[in-house]
Amino acid sequence: MQNEMIDPKLVEEFLSFTKNVTEAPKLVPAPDEITLESTPFDVVYEQDKMRLLHYKPLVEKQIKTPFLISYAIINRFHILDIQQKKSWVRKLLESGIDVYMIDWGTPSNIDKYLDFDDYVNLYMDNCVDFVRKEAQVDNISMQGYCTGGTIATIYSAIHPKKVRNLVVTAPVIDGWKDTTVVSNMAKHMKIDMLVDTIGNMPPEFMYYCFSILKPFEQGLEKYYKFFKNIHDKEFVDNFLRIEKWLSDTPPIPGELFRQWMRDIYQENLLIQNKMYVGGKQIDLKNITMPIFVQVAVGDHLVSPECSMPIYYAVSSEDKTMRVYPIGHVGMIASSFSQKQILPELCQWIKERS
Amino acid sequence: MSQDVKLPLDYFKHASLFWTDLLHLMSGKPVALTSVGPSRNWANDAKKVITELIDANDDLIEFNQRLTEYYKQLSEAWAESQKKVNAKIPTIPQDVEHLEAYKRVWIDIFENDFTQLFDSGKFGENYGKLVSAELELSRHWENITNVILHSMKLPTRKEIDEVYKELHELRKRITKLEKNEGKTNAE
Repeated sequence: MQNEMIDPKLVEEFLSFTKNVTEAPKLVPAPDEITLESTPFDVVYEQDKMRLLHYKPLVEKQIKTPFLISYAIINRFHILDIQQKKSWVRKLLESGIDVYMIDWGTPSNIDKYLDFDDYVNLYMDNCVDFVRKEAQVDNISMQGYCTGGTIATIYSAIHPKKVRNLVVTAPVIDGWKDTTVVSNMAKHMKIDMLVDTIGNMPPEFMYYCFSILKPFEQGLEKYYKFFKNIHDKEFVDNFLRIEKWLSDTPPIPGELFRQWMRDIYQENLLIQNKMYVGGKQIDLKNITMPIFVQVAVGDHLVSPECSMPIYYAVSSEDKTMRVYPIGHVGMIASSFSQKQILPELCQWIKERS
Repeated sequence: MSQDVKLPLDYFKHASLFWTDLLHLMSGKPVALTSVGPSRNWANDAKKVITELIDANDDLIEFNQRLTEYYKQLSEAWAESQKKVNAKIPTIPQDVEHLEAYKRVWIDIFENDFTQLFDSGKFGENYGKLVSAELELSRHWENITNVILHSMKLPTRKEIDEVYKELHELRKRITKLEKNEGKTNAE
């Protein structure tokens, strides 16, 4: 009687899934065995743990103005070059853009006093000066992604003459308008106590923040899909690369984290032009260069409402904003970004370089 | 004194300190005669460790309360979501074709309810207090570790932090000086 109640196809589905799980180790490499860097580059400048990467050109004809990418302080830069078919960097190179990338490195306890001033006025400024000198130009194009977008925005407000074009992709700008879970947690955090007690923000804390963002979709469903598609090489390769990237997040220097949480999420000083970096008040009106703002409707890490105010806060006359129907990571590493976002961005850069 | 001390924990703390102090004073002279070097500090260090352990109790209670509330919020959200799923399931046929639909319903309801919880003020507030209580416990542990490090003539966290800060300032100054030198040379 019981046998009649169970659909045989359900049993078949269950057995097939179990077989996939058993066979998985034979079919796919361990995440540790995967190399994330796919496009060749040279490390052209280093300071402390920060590295400046210069990607090797893929086409002969290149536009003169170099393009510097300021990656976020959470996770590593590899997501922008996660695999050939979805590589943000590769697409830029194929369009004749000379690409540099800042790898902020992995801070240790000795770096706990690094703050916005160090990231903006030392590390980033030294990188910009290096690129300007190497390319023999007065100013460069700059892109900042996520928290890297905030750093790029602050840099452009302090050193506007060195930035020819500014591209900000899901930047954290207006903390009070952010509707994500991250913002809710940040508002209730005793930030001074946190930093004074533990120093650098440990990766484990970051993992916690990620794990509550979409706990069931990201914690269960995606692994179910992984085992279900274990024979699909492209799917598995992409999955493991993203997983490896997600699991590799460096600590955030304590002072930088303190200033980030307090000035941007709790007191929301940046958008009000009241934030100070290195003793200088940040006035977003100083941003006069062409600006391209990219936001994603499905962004659950930095909500569009948090990023979009930059468009209205700057003085730039030449400004563009695009709202894409995708998520935070999909905006920079997906088939959609290759087909829709990057062609438009490359065109925008070329017209202004 | 007993009138001032109302809570049993406070009294326990007071009694511990009283006897540690008194024994230390009473044994001071004989110990001084018989002990040499670091062992003279032993009683003082032990007192500091005991004080920290007693103080940690209060924070441990707060931590446990917050942790219980945290799990309560999670389990309530889980129960509520499961109720909604159970109510919806009879409308979905129980066959392999609809397995995906069942899974989708389950995930969507749970995802929605848990995101609402994580976005709520009550979750944020309790989580903030949970983290603070955990940090208080870390501080007690750090203070105990510092006593041990000090007794072993090793640098404490505070002393190491001072060195880190000094190094940070120096690195900054050197970079600025190098930059200015580069500019002067270029001119």
